[in-house]
Amino acid sequence: MIDADRITRVLFEDFAPAAVRVFYVIGYGAIAVFGYGVYVQVRKYRRGAAAALGGNGWARLGAMTGSLLSHRTVARRDRPAGAAHRLIFFGFGLLFLGTATITLEYDILAPLFGIHFWNGSFYLWFSLVLDIAGVALIAGLLYMMYRRGWLRLPKLDYARPDRAPGDPDYDRTGYRREDWAFLWTLLVIGVTGFVLEAVRLVWLAARPDVWDYRWWSPVGALFAEAMRAAGLSAVPAGWLRDGLWWFHGIIALVLIALIPFSKVKHIFTAAGSLLVRDPLAAQRLPRVPEGQPAGVERITDFTWKQLLSLDACTKCGRCHEACPARAVGAPLSPRDVILSLREFANRTLQSGVLPDAAELSVHGKGPGQVAMETLWSCRTCMACVEICPVAVEHVPIIVQLRRKLVEDGAMEPLLAKTLQTIHKTGNSLGESRRKRGAWSKALPFPVKDARKEPVDVLWFVGDYASFDPRNQKVTQGFATLLHQANVDFGILYDGESNAGNDVRRVGEEGLFETLAAANIASLGAASFKTIVTTDPHSYNTIRNEYPDFGGNYRIQHYTTLLRQLFGEGHLKVAKPLGLRATFHDPCHLGRFNQGYEAPRELLGLLGCELVEMGRCRANSFCCGAGGGRIWMADPVGSEKPAQNRIKEAAAIPGLQVYVVSCPKDLTMFEDALKTTGNEGRFVVRELIELVREAVT
Amino acid sequence: MKILVPVKQVAALDEDFEIDSTGRDVSEEFLIRDLNEWDDYSLEEALKIKDGATMPVEVVAVSVGPERIDESLRKCLAKGADRAIRVWDAGVEGSDSIAIARLLAAVAKREAPDLLFAGVQSSDHAFASTGIATASFLGWPHAAVVAYLGYEPGARTAVVRRELEGGVLHELAIDCPAVLTIQLGINAPRYASLRSIKQAAAKPIEVLAPAALGLADSDVGPSGSLSRVRRMYIPDKGRAQMIEGTAVEQAARLAEIIRKFKGAGA
Repeated sequence: MIDADRITRVLFEDFAPAAVRVFYVIGYGAIAVFGYGVYVQVRKYRRGAAAALGGNGWARLGAMTGSLLSHRTVARRDRPAGAAHRLIFFGFGLLFLGTATITLEYDILAPLFGIHFWNGSFYLWFSLVLDIAGVALIAGLLYMMYRRGWLRLPKLDYARPDRAPGDPDYDRTGYRREDWAFLWTLLVIGVTGFVLEAVRLVWLAARPDVWDYRWWSPVGALFAEAMRAAGLSAVPAGWLRDGLWWFHGIIALVLIALIPFSKVKHIFTAAGSLLVRDPLAAQRLPRVPEGQPAGVERITDFTWKQLLSLDACTKCGRCHEACPARAVGAPLSPRDVILSLREFANRTLQSGVLPDAAELSVHGKGPGQVAMETLWSCRTCMACVEICPVAVEHVPIIVQLRRKLVEDGAMEPLLAKTLQTIHKTGNSLGESRRKRGAWSKALPFPVKDARKEPVDVLWFVGDYASFDPRNQKVTQGFATLLHQANVDFGILYDGESNAGNDVRRVGEEGLFETLAAANIASLGAASFKTIVTTDPHSYNTIRNEYPDFGGNYRIQHYTTLLRQLFGEGHLKVAKPLGLRATFHDPCHLGRFNQGYEAPRELLGLLGCELVEMGRCRANSFCCGAGGGRIWMADPVGSEKPAQNRIKEAAAIPGLQVYVVSCPKDLTMFEDALKTTGNEGRFVVRELIELVREAVT
Repeated sequence: MKILVPVKQVAALDEDFEIDSTGRDVSEEFLIRDLNEWDDYSLEEALKIKDGATMPVEVVAVSVGPERIDESLRKCLAKGADRAIRVWDAGVEGSDSIAIARLLAAVAKREAPDLLFAGVQSSDHAFASTGIATASFLGWPHAAVVAYLGYEPGARTAVVRRELEGGVLHELAIDCPAVLTIQLGINAPRYASLRSIKQAAAKPIEVLAPAALGLADSDVGPSGSLSRVRRMYIPDKGRAQMIEGTAVEQAARLAEIIRKFKGAGA
């Protein structure tokens, strides 16, 4: 039996002391370069503005660790990529830990305290685990190469919708080279590791403390057997081992040195970005700090957290794929906004001295700048934020850039006009304030004025539902349902203003503040227990944003209230509808506020057969009206997001009704139904209308 | 150089408005106040000159009215006007466009601008006379309905194109100082964000009484005006009526109506 102490990892076997010293010089050199790189990157982030991180630090740490270990965010909507990344992550992680453990013993514990643990069964098990880790790493890398080289996924081709060929920053060849260099470098490190292991076994085959335990390194042993079978003997194996040892070691050290200067840094920046993630990033936009100008003009106006997240982006293209603006050919890809700003930050903030303020403006058409056409294309639908595996928060970045455009008046005249109208009349349709509750006159029962008498449920109606003639029918229908269910409800009449959700997402923060203050004052003067709203946009801002302005309420969307009224027996289905239906999740109800279940349960109660579209729930496809786009004209001749969506629904065989639960959706999709030539094939209905039909 | 921009806070009618008890105006509660649309363009034209100039250009907004019009002046300040002046005292109440012009001319004499840009007209009263009357009081050259302006800051003359009927443009050179009334569409007025309007609240608005401008009580108000409002009313609706029925019935009914209007027996 061989003494367990002798069974250990062969390290500097047969190395001249000078060679070991050379290796240490290279090693420390690599760490120094790495350290300098980290310093430069941290200095870059610190040139950003201060960031307030909400929430509990431990909870954030827990969430980040959970995301990293589960790989949940990486695997979403691309399971093979998630699986491959998991192999690389854990493979590389274990190999790194293993190597670090050697350093721990050889350079720290042994010389300082005489502690040795890297031998015996511990060594053997670790040797086995690291061999498996190496296989995992190589397998993951090979899939990633297959994915890039053969699958040719559109989301990975880096084609930019916001630049034209010939523009200085159109060409993305550099990114492609870096992607391949990264994969090849890791692959070479992994493969040479195994070959090195094999030649070492061949070289030391005469030593029983090495050779007899070779199957604890199964891959290395397999290679070694093959080499010996091919006639490799100990002496040339020793030469090979020398050469490969240096090659493997140096390439690994170079990779470490280059981490802060290359895409490899995502192993730190992605984790960092996940750590500082704001779970309500798009739902609750940041306030403008007191006494500071609104919005982002210069790269240094972004917070350090935002600058860090720019570096977290791995160009995975999921936001690019999910973006409704990109899908219809608008000059916007959330990915390219992030990459542009990253390139801009790297160019301006990595040098020792900060350039002049004039060179720091991120607005414009120059390299790394973001054009206003790009910013105004955004629907703030949150599809990008929701799917980003590394917690890049595109929507607040875009809105903060828009705030600057609004201050400069750089917007479409139609939008400027609408904002002025909202300021003047409190609604986007330019109707008289006093006509806001006029829809209720057609009802056979009075609707209470919640400012004059107390009610249980205050109904926040919203602009479209109040003024748009088509939506008024739905509004009257909901009032009738509440009346039938004996709900004690009222509205604010002309005390209600536009809730400001979309005004805020346009970037008109001052107007949003005015609207929020007006509504909070009206709500404060009314007596009620809870708020219900038929408008998901109002729902979002009252629920998530009004608390920042002192308005704290219990609010629900009408779908949960109706579900409750059915559940408690206040409403009953008299006539099951038996329709084949699909449901469109409104961005602000679904993705923003996870209101996925209530509308589906209601459809079930009504006796509808629900057939989901491919893009549903969190991946629901925006109707195109969000972020103030409803107040801007879409380019003539191009497909609108709503048309794209209706075509998706039209592919469902035998579809009878396309169900929506948002006033803007009703307007957008009834229009799209006509313009896509699907009128007559199926209808667009508000869920309220179906409920009305079924209960009477 | 300096450009003086007289602006007006106009009133738009809300739905279902009512005439007030004097019978000479719409009830205050049905009015929605805002800056006159033409003045957005005249102010923008001044700000464009200021933005494009290499020399310092001062843009001064002036308006005649009570405290509530400060809101409109603040909008001008938010957009980039350097100063704002409001002319008012109780005696100014009831002034017509001529009396207002007399006040504006007095301000212009005090400010001595190189150019004065007024809107062609106001969207509520639509006299289209204030700007031109101001030129008359000042004895300055004037051009009305200006749709294009070519002016180098500090130059002695400006080139203007006036919009005439039938799409004809009338180009002329005009000596400065001059009064121009600016037409809609000459430029694209900028947007004043709510934040900038709120921030403009910190900028002072100079308030002047007519006396401070050297005007007597009789120069303003009804006594300084050349016209007085007698009444404001909604005319009776026309009494058009569809004649129903077959062609024969319709012809018979028409003949009956004609006979009735001609007078019986004629």
